Amino acid sequence: MSVASAGFPYLTAILLSCVAALLVILFIPEDRKMLIKWVSLVFSGITLALCLIVYVAYDRTMGGFQFVEKIRWVQSMGIYYHNAADGFSLPMLLLTGIVLFTGVLTMWELETRVKEFFALTFLLVTGVFGMFMAMDLFFLFVWYDVSLFPMYPLIAIWGSTRKEYGAMKLTLYLLAGSALILPGILYLYVKSGLNTFDIAALMHPGVFTPFQQKFAFLLFYLGFGILAGVWPFHTWSPVGHVAAPTAVSMIHAGVLMKLGAFGVLRVGIFLCPEGWQYWAELMALLATCGIVYGAFVGLAQTDLKYVIGYSSVSHMGIVGLGLATVTVDGLNGAVFQMFAHGVMTALLFSSVGYIYDRTHTKMIPELGGLSKIMPVASGYFIVAALAGIGVPCLASFWAELLVFIASFRVYPVRGTLAICALVVSALFMLRVVQRTFYGEKNERFAHLRDVSLGLGIPRMILVSVIVLFGLYPSLMLDVVQTAAIPLINGLPR
Amino acid sequence: MTTWVLFTPELYCLLMAAAFFTLSMAARPNPRRDYLVALFLTSIGVVVALASVRLEGTLFFAAYRVDLFSQVFKVLLAAGLFLVVCLCTELNSVEERHHPEFYLFLTTCTLAMMLLVSSVELLTIYIALELSSYSLYILVPLRRGRGMDVEAAIKYLMVGASASAVMLFGLSYLFGVTHTTYVAEIIKVLPGVMHTPGAILGLLLTLCGFFFKLAVFPFHFWAPDVYQGAANQVTAYIATASKVAAVAILMRMVALSGGTSIYLVKVLVALSICSMTLGNLVAIVQKDMKRLLAYSSISHAGYVLIGILSMTETGYASAIFYALAYLVMNLSCFLVVIKVAEDGGDLKVAQLAGLHRRSPLLAMVLMLAVFGLAGIPPTIGFTGKFLVFAAAVEKGYLGLVILAMVNATVSLYYYILIVKAAYLLEPDEEQAKLVVSTPTRVLTGILVTVMVVMGVYPHHFLEVARAAARALM
Repeated sequence: MSVASAGFPYLTAILLSCVAALLVILFIPEDRKMLIKWVSLVFSGITLALCLIVYVAYDRTMGGFQFVEKIRWVQSMGIYYHNAADGFSLPMLLLTGIVLFTGVLTMWELETRVKEFFALTFLLVTGVFGMFMAMDLFFLFVWYDVSLFPMYPLIAIWGSTRKEYGAMKLTLYLLAGSALILPGILYLYVKSGLNTFDIAALMHPGVFTPFQQKFAFLLFYLGFGILAGVWPFHTWSPVGHVAAPTAVSMIHAGVLMKLGAFGVLRVGIFLCPEGWQYWAELMALLATCGIVYGAFVGLAQTDLKYVIGYSSVSHMGIVGLGLATVTVDGLNGAVFQMFAHGVMTALLFSSVGYIYDRTHTKMIPELGGLSKIMPVASGYFIVAALAGIGVPCLASFWAELLVFIASFRVYPVRGTLAICALVVSALFMLRVVQRTFYGEKNERFAHLRDVSLGLGIPRMILVSVIVLFGLYPSLMLDVVQTAAIPLINGLPR
Repeated sequence: MTTWVLFTPELYCLLMAAAFFTLSMAARPNPRRDYLVALFLTSIGVVVALASVRLEGTLFFAAYRVDLFSQVFKVLLAAGLFLVVCLCTELNSVEERHHPEFYLFLTTCTLAMMLLVSSVELLTIYIALELSSYSLYILVPLRRGRGMDVEAAIKYLMVGASASAVMLFGLSYLFGVTHTTYVAEIIKVLPGVMHTPGAILGLLLTLCGFFFKLAVFPFHFWAPDVYQGAANQVTAYIATASKVAAVAILMRMVALSGGTSIYLVKVLVALSICSMTLGNLVAIVQKDMKRLLAYSSISHAGYVLIGILSMTETGYASAIFYALAYLVMNLSCFLVVIKVAEDGGDLKVAQLAGLHRRSPLLAMVLMLAVFGLAGIPPTIGFTGKFLVFAAAVEKGYLGLVILAMVNATVSLYYYILIVKAAYLLEPDEEQAKLVVSTPTRVLTGILVTVMVVMGVYPHHFLEVARAAARALM
């Protein structure tokens, strides 16, 4: 299954480039703001390039875990520094690379406490990258927590709207999740009797009894599920999104929530497949609740960021529904949706961030007619909103299609409900677009300038990614199914 | 003659005490001279302790055992003393003519704790414990003025004396049950009679003396007042070195039961849960930094107990690792407290406001240490918790671990408030930048390195801790 690679350690290089950026930024004097931004840009560019190389160089015909790096770390505990990439983690690595790069560009105009902002951002993405590539439960947990705690200062210092409340709520919720994950990990470690934290060694069938799998899966599902915004543990998410500064919202909604879903997949589903099958009904139920609830609550919001926040809850519900189907299509769709939703929300937050920086409001009734003032900025938002609705030719369409086909087959009632909720979410997204960007022009904002070419670059990158994967979904699906098909085939019947 | 080599670290401490005693007789107080002498002597002390780490043997009619377990703790104690002395550059809160006495009693206290971790005979243990307590009883009221210190000292003395009395009572039971005062003999007899009430009661009452040192519920009442009332440096010492010694001797005594008594485990589990929960919940409402750290230390005593009550080699090893982690993290916190409260007064959490501009270095150390105390990777605090919890789950105490994790999440709230004060809040009136001297910079550099490197790569120290735990059993 695993292929040892003696070649260039690409995955470690990704981590190191983030750590290097962090260290370099720490040693630059605080007042050299432009230098800090350029350093961040260069290192995030290198990181993105490495992610792209890994994504392209992955051998699709062979599948399985590639780019394996394994170093003995703590012998007596059986801890290894073990990284690998497979069809599930590659899209996530690429997504993180894209969102980091565009996030840095989006924050180009930041002026307050620049050094700390970029240092914390790189600390955060180091954790995110580490979690996506970790194949050792110890390191997976370490990276998971490393990616969470910088969120507090990032939101509390640079955020807006009730930022301290939002930051505290988010941090406590997410770390409460890890209060379930760590005992789960230790439970599996002890019960396996293999004295190893290595996922590749623990995922062999027969290592855990069905009862152990059912018990541990529940811990992981609830623990990671909090971060994935699973209903009813989602309440931190809209509050946190609204409070966070633009780039952090992008990374947070775009990447961090995927960390939760990925944790369920990598730890819960890989190690406890029987627990997965056992709890699938519950997962489907909660996911459907999330989809429907997110759509209806989103309908009532008047704050642009809250709208996006609740649509995220709804869209992450689709990921959960895909995972709950226990089918190849469902898994493909779920992972594709994680990627598509990440890029799409990043674009939404990026556009809203631009509008908010100019108009200093994100209340929908106060805006209006923006497309006449900033046609380009509005265009980016509208493309992202259409992607969220699931318009064909955009990436989310394929993801949602796959999930709905699979869920319709397995859970007809819940699948139908979810599709109906999608109509509601289309309604609220279009309403937002109509009220914010069309209608009467608001004279207060008439003097504002549109997105310049330089500031437009990050948004253009995000739009082109959405369109690219919308036109050629096989670019993504070919990779994902190298992992999904063996996983489903390996399930006990 | 060769057997006396085993006693080197203790002898060195005794010599140090004699040196400070001589200094205290000097005609004119000279704080600078006292500080430099103390710094020099204690740094040599660390070297001496390190040099004798591989020694093994017994002394004084087998009442005193030198093994890897005791020697590792002696290194930790010597290092703790050295680091606390490092923080004494501005010892404003103690009168200048008392400085030599201050160092003298710190040294005798360290000496007593070194004796404590090596003692394997009940009366020796008791005497060593009392010597360390009495040193601290004197150190606490050394603080200049204001009366707070006297109240703290009296409280400390009262609780300490009652704990000693209870402990003596327990020791008499142990002697009655086993007819010996030698730990090596007790460990053979006691597991066989652990089902009798006398044995359990005797052991539990004996443990009370150490629970007092560690500030485990219900012997924690002294901690907040003493932490707040004593001079900042003394508090730093009580919070670090003293706790490390308590962990060591607690392990030695719990190991006596041989892991056979279910009752003992139950009592320890209950105490651990109470300590964690009480410490964390009360810490939430604290406004004074040292009081907050006192309650956090009560909760950390609970976490350490989880490692000890596993009563396995991995459990003891994890507790040793946790003791080191706790020493480093708490010292870092107190370093910041001492440097920010330049006049030697108490420090409110709100007074940390604007620290990130007054001294980015101190703010960063504080953030790392505080996140370490909360158990967030990649710090040594996380790795310590991870090891402790792993040992407990191995013994099947999953529920206890989940409770402890929930507690860790609760504790995160007040730790984050500290970070918030340092990074987010702005002071009402602009305050001058803090000048951090080069030695302090080096010291913070060392502390940060230890916190991060041991957190990410615990392999080597963990091996040492395991070997030490093997020596214990």
